[in-house]
Amino acid sequence: MGNPDQPLDSILASLKERAKELACLYRIDELVGNAGALDADVFEQVVRAIPPGWQFPGICEARLTVGLDRYSTDRFNRAVATMSSPVEVENEPVGTVAVAYTEPCPESDEGPFLKEERRLIDAVAQRIGHAILRARILTTGPHLGGAPGAGDTPPHSWEVLIDFLRRTDRELLGRINRRMANHLCWSGVPSASDLLGHVPMSQGPENGDENRPAQRRRFSSEDELTRRTFALAAEHLNDTEIIACIQTWLNEEKSLFLIQTLENPDSGLAETAEALKRFRSSGVVEGDLPAAMQTTLRVALVRRYFVDQPEFINIAKDHIAISDLYEVVDRLVHPTASHGKIGGKGAGLVLAHRILRDNAGSSGLLADLRVPKTWYVASDGLLAFIHYNNLEEVYNHKYMEIERVRQEYPHIIQVFKNSQFPPEMRKGLSAALDDLPPGPIIVRSSSLLEDRSGASFAGKYKSLFLANQGTKAERLAALEDAIAEIYASVFGPDPIEYRIERGLLHFSEEMGILIQEVVGRRAGDYFFPSFAGVAFSSNEFRWSPRIKREDGLIRMVPGLGTRAVDRTGDDYPVLVSPGQPTLRVSTSARDIVRYAPRKVDVIDLERRAFSTVEAATLLRGCGDDYPGARRLISIVQPDHVSLPSALGPNWETDDFVITFEGVLSQTPFMKQMREMLGVLREGLGTDVDIEFAHDGEHLYLVQCRAQSRSTEYAPAAIPRDIPHNRLLFSASRHISNGRVPNITHIVYVDPEAYANLGSYRELKDVAHAVGRLNSLLPKRQFILLGPGRWGSRGDIKLGVSVTYSDISNAAMLLEIARASGSYVPELSFGTHFFQDMVEAGIRYLPLYPDEPPGMLNETFLKSSRNILPSLVPEHQDLGATVRVIDVQAETGGNILRVLMNADLEEAVGFLARPERDETSVQEAAWIETGSQEEHWRWRLQMAERIAARIDAPAFGIKQLYLIGSVKNATAGPGSDIDLLVHDAGDAEQRSRLRLWLDGVSLALAEINYLRTGYETEGLLDPHYVTDEDIANKTSFAAKIGAVTDAARRLTLGRNSALDPPARPGPA
Amino acid sequence: MSTAVKPFSSFEMAQSQFDHVAEVLDLDEGACDLLRNPLREFSFAIPTRMDDGTIKIFRGFRVQHNDARGPSKGGLRFHPMETLDMVRALAMWMTWKCAVVDIPLGGGKGGVVCDPHNLSLGEQERICRGFVRQMGRNMGPALDVPAPDVMTSAQHMLWMLDEFEAIHGSHQPGFITGKPVGIGGSQGRTEATGYGVMFTVREALRDLDIRIEGTSASFQGFGNVSQYAVRLYREMGGTPVCVSCWDQRDGTSYAYTKRSGIDVDELLTVTDRFGGINRPEAERLGYKVLPGDDWISQDVDILVPAALENQVTAENVLRVGPRVKVIAEGANGPTSPEADRVIHERGIYMIPDLLANAGGVTCSYFEQVQSNMNFYWDKDEVLGKLDAKMTSAYMSVSDLARKRGIYMREAAYLIAVDRVVRACRDRGWV
Repeated sequence: MGNPDQPLDSILASLKERAKELACLYRIDELVGNAGALDADVFEQVVRAIPPGWQFPGICEARLTVGLDRYSTDRFNRAVATMSSPVEVENEPVGTVAVAYTEPCPESDEGPFLKEERRLIDAVAQRIGHAILRARILTTGPHLGGAPGAGDTPPHSWEVLIDFLRRTDRELLGRINRRMANHLCWSGVPSASDLLGHVPMSQGPENGDENRPAQRRRFSSEDELTRRTFALAAEHLNDTEIIACIQTWLNEEKSLFLIQTLENPDSGLAETAEALKRFRSSGVVEGDLPAAMQTTLRVALVRRYFVDQPEFINIAKDHIAISDLYEVVDRLVHPTASHGKIGGKGAGLVLAHRILRDNAGSSGLLADLRVPKTWYVASDGLLAFIHYNNLEEVYNHKYMEIERVRQEYPHIIQVFKNSQFPPEMRKGLSAALDDLPPGPIIVRSSSLLEDRSGASFAGKYKSLFLANQGTKAERLAALEDAIAEIYASVFGPDPIEYRIERGLLHFSEEMGILIQEVVGRRAGDYFFPSFAGVAFSSNEFRWSPRIKREDGLIRMVPGLGTRAVDRTGDDYPVLVSPGQPTLRVSTSARDIVRYAPRKVDVIDLERRAFSTVEAATLLRGCGDDYPGARRLISIVQPDHVSLPSALGPNWETDDFVITFEGVLSQTPFMKQMREMLGVLREGLGTDVDIEFAHDGEHLYLVQCRAQSRSTEYAPAAIPRDIPHNRLLFSASRHISNGRVPNITHIVYVDPEAYANLGSYRELKDVAHAVGRLNSLLPKRQFILLGPGRWGSRGDIKLGVSVTYSDISNAAMLLEIARASGSYVPELSFGTHFFQDMVEAGIRYLPLYPDEPPGMLNETFLKSSRNILPSLVPEHQDLGATVRVIDVQAETGGNILRVLMNADLEEAVGFLARPERDETSVQEAAWIETGSQEEHWRWRLQMAERIAARIDAPAFGIKQLYLIGSVKNATAGPGSDIDLLVHDAGDAEQRSRLRLWLDGVSLALAEINYLRTGYETEGLLDPHYVTDEDIANKTSFAAKIGAVTDAARRLTLGRNSALDPPARPGPA
Repeated sequence: MSTAVKPFSSFEMAQSQFDHVAEVLDLDEGACDLLRNPLREFSFAIPTRMDDGTIKIFRGFRVQHNDARGPSKGGLRFHPMETLDMVRALAMWMTWKCAVVDIPLGGGKGGVVCDPHNLSLGEQERICRGFVRQMGRNMGPALDVPAPDVMTSAQHMLWMLDEFEAIHGSHQPGFITGKPVGIGGSQGRTEATGYGVMFTVREALRDLDIRIEGTSASFQGFGNVSQYAVRLYREMGGTPVCVSCWDQRDGTSYAYTKRSGIDVDELLTVTDRFGGINRPEAERLGYKVLPGDDWISQDVDILVPAALENQVTAENVLRVGPRVKVIAEGANGPTSPEADRVIHERGIYMIPDLLANAGGVTCSYFEQVQSNMNFYWDKDEVLGKLDAKMTSAYMSVSDLARKRGIYMREAAYLIAVDRVVRACRDRGWV
């Protein structure tokens, strides 16, 4: 070591930040120790050196009185809180040192002061006392010896620290000493074990006997031990190492209080927040703490503030630093004595943001990524709200019959909305409004159960957009109103049913709330982001064999992302795969235009409401104000679409369409998304589903959670023991995840027969026949299995030239690629109507039967009875090409089940017993209530009652039949009852009959609503047929006595003519 | 083959059609052999660097069926599993089509076996350029002129043009048609087919001695062709009373009628880009909405099927109203052979697709002419010249039909084939 002062100086300089009091003390030592004389100048400097040692140096002032002289910093006289310590020389008071805060500070150990600060001020006073004494001695007579610790330069720089501790905090010194001994021992210094109680751990006889208490050993004198320990340390470690060790341990000591607070079950959010604040101001940097302590703190904080789940904590502890909590704590609204958390959604977002921050380095793509400013309401805010308004009675709700829950829910909403928030929450919400940027906000639920793997609660609780306009009072009222509504939604029937189903009913359903700024800008009267959407790290909808699952999928829309989250019936989001940014779903100009988004969700600032507007109108009106609008659109030319010219589109006259082409090809957006999905998947160890928004300049991450794995798109377990004769097909290329469970009919277009059709007309007729079958076969219960490319245009030999409306009711589309020679044809992957299929949930699977292990059971397909002639007699001549198989009739009640597992790249279709509790593809998108059985049974019962009670002769009814989903035992909670009424009445009878059925229909709809929550205009869907219809087998009459899917005849009861209209059947 | 029936082949169908005409014209064996098959066929590999750095080999075709009358003209399509069979049939069809309107061009067609859904734009561009590098020496303004087709657009044409000009080191916009206006494209392209249909209708009415002012017409489809046909028909004094179109939302088609006459501009305000009419809005405008197939049973003088192929069939041809005097085929092959026989027997005046919808190819020819001159006409000039071409083409066909007492469809074929045979003969080929 060249100059022993140098490292000490620099370390003390850095200590200034970390151990401020040490720095302060050292500075004072320096001033009073090095100076020749103690004059006024020195004392002036001493007072200025004192404030930096205190917790809030900015408002800290100091004053020193020596005899009659006073030295003070400028604003000491404005003190609101002071502490002082006497300066004594040879036990005689000669003055005082005083420290003051000029502004109120949080309460601590001694008023606003810490107990460490008490020690420090005492030490400062002592130092000054020693200095005065020494000065006196020096002036009276030299060489009489120095005060301890002053004057003689210590041989090692760290000794200053040890000396300081010896004089100020012997307890702490003891602990440091023990740690050093441990450290030496751990580092393999042989004699160090002696320091740890003088007896090597392995030797003591007491260690061998676990039933006898260990003997208490007396430590030798602490000073002696310290001397020995550090002497040994000096032999094996250099000064820097020793000082670094001491520093770390000191930091740890200083942070212990945080662990104490966090681990104390009694301390609430207020206490932990205070402790965090104290930790923050202590100047200790997390990285300087020992790793174990960092983990302890992180885990404790995550558990306290976020969620309890071990899986979450396990990941979060590696990413969420203590300092990340500062922001959360500052923006957390909570009731007094709260023990709440911020909930899953909030936690997921914070964690995702940290993971991205930790990995943003290499590419710089995510350096600008933002997260909307967010405030949190602690989860027990709901409980406090209920308690404050004496609404405890609602807790019983979840154990009531679901009908009652549904009936009372509207009432609960109103009661909640008319209740008051506890004053402290109100204050917090008001602060949130002041802090959030002006402009719309979104209030989201962040429940503790929500977003847990396996229980996504997606869409079960509300998210509400607020325009956040008007006076502060109006805005606060609107915010409170929204939160109350979300609180009420906890007691809504849908979440309760969902919880029953998932076995989560008995969990306390605390509900955190996120209050987030809405990303976007104002344009015209509206506020919205440039574009937004959802992205998945695993792509379950691939439109080209070149796209792999891990290439991901983005659904993007202009404006608010709501239209991308939900499937909308009347519009299309733009689909892109960030891993294959150049492969578009739509390639022809016509398809690009057809599948372009047409509507935009916005916040109407004038009406202060969420609303949907036409994209074209919006852009024509305010295209120049719309953030980044140029990049969203392409110009439609007669024969192609192109990017707008550099002079920009003329919003008035140009024909444009939303394609996001500029965003995709001219901005780093796709790379950013790819990077983001990749980093999050890696960091969270699971596929993720994120929501994002873009304001034209910056990309925002709005939400992040595990990619929800509803059964519909979950990887299906592939049974290994399917008997060969029950296997219909298997596939092993380009597989997505999912299952299509209950297929009752197969439409098989024989590839060979199709290829050999003799005329263009016959080829076209195959498409017509498929279109007819689409309207006749039960919806989502049949599959289309055919050669090559479904929807071929032009050269229709490549595949059946259907349009989307010819296949719209199918559950699944399969394409067979039969090798001819060495050539295997390219399949279409449903590209001709890909987006329609995605939005309708029609699944796709390619089959390569000539490439093992791919297979197709042609024997079954070709030998089963073909019911085409009886279904579509006009196309019976196509019987050799188009085969329709009624699976149940053919296999004695079995159905076809298709299971697909992309992880294994395997899919099978096999014959199996029907699963009644499973739903058809489309309905599986809904969360079902109870078993499926219940819905159709109840409907069947109701239909039978109607038949039994209706006054058939009076209405001129000849017969009643049941068709559709109730008859097929597939009715879901939202299905209606399709009645086929064969009547021969006159006009008056018929109009009376309609009236009567309408009444029954409304009554049934109301009962169904209470049972299931599905609102319908009516539950009966009567179809009237006459004798003539039956004779001609027109429209629905064809179902009577049909070969497949025939109408079921209902038994008409004896005429109860007394009062038919009043008795619609029992409820 | 497991079945006895021969698989459907577009080319064989086109050949048998030709055979019939050849028999009527009593062509000698040499002429038959020459015209039954393409003059030249090219099949070649297009090595293409994909975005991921790998090389993929695509297969390209170009068929030049006959260029006795002038450079081959025909589309270039991108299609998976494109077959020579289909391309040959289409090339032959182009030869007849150019001949019937008497433009100095031959017939050609080509394509690349690929699925653009699996290709990025960059890859498609490289395929286009690769195509020209392979075929460039056999194509050109004076040899063979490609145009957009299935899954290819103006953008593809421009890439090909650029590559061609780079190879030759000179500007040659006449190499390709279908270019946007401003980069060698022609005015009047969107109007051409629809206007062309109406020019022939006008002439037909004149032949039949019917004043157009007193007529009414019903149109199937409301796309590009129909929209301009309806517009011109109304301008000429006729009363369009019905158009039908596909309704995407309802998954069915509807016919919209207005006895007082359809105002295209008014109807276009409630029509999307694909000619889909908004039903409730149209009802608000006073249009009566009927099932889509009812376009055919309207009480009108003229029917214009301008939507898809195979629309007038044995089943619905009987619904054609008693007043109908003229059918003009705006679409390709809208009438099935069975229906065609019924129409023939009923003595309805048929303007066949070969002639009626040749306005499109005529305008492509004008585009090439303008490109070669590097001088571009305004729209009126283009449409004026189109009128002249279509009218004289019509005259030749109707003259022949009248002279020989044959059906217009047959007359059109006879004229086309005869013109090509004559050119071959004059050149001493046969």
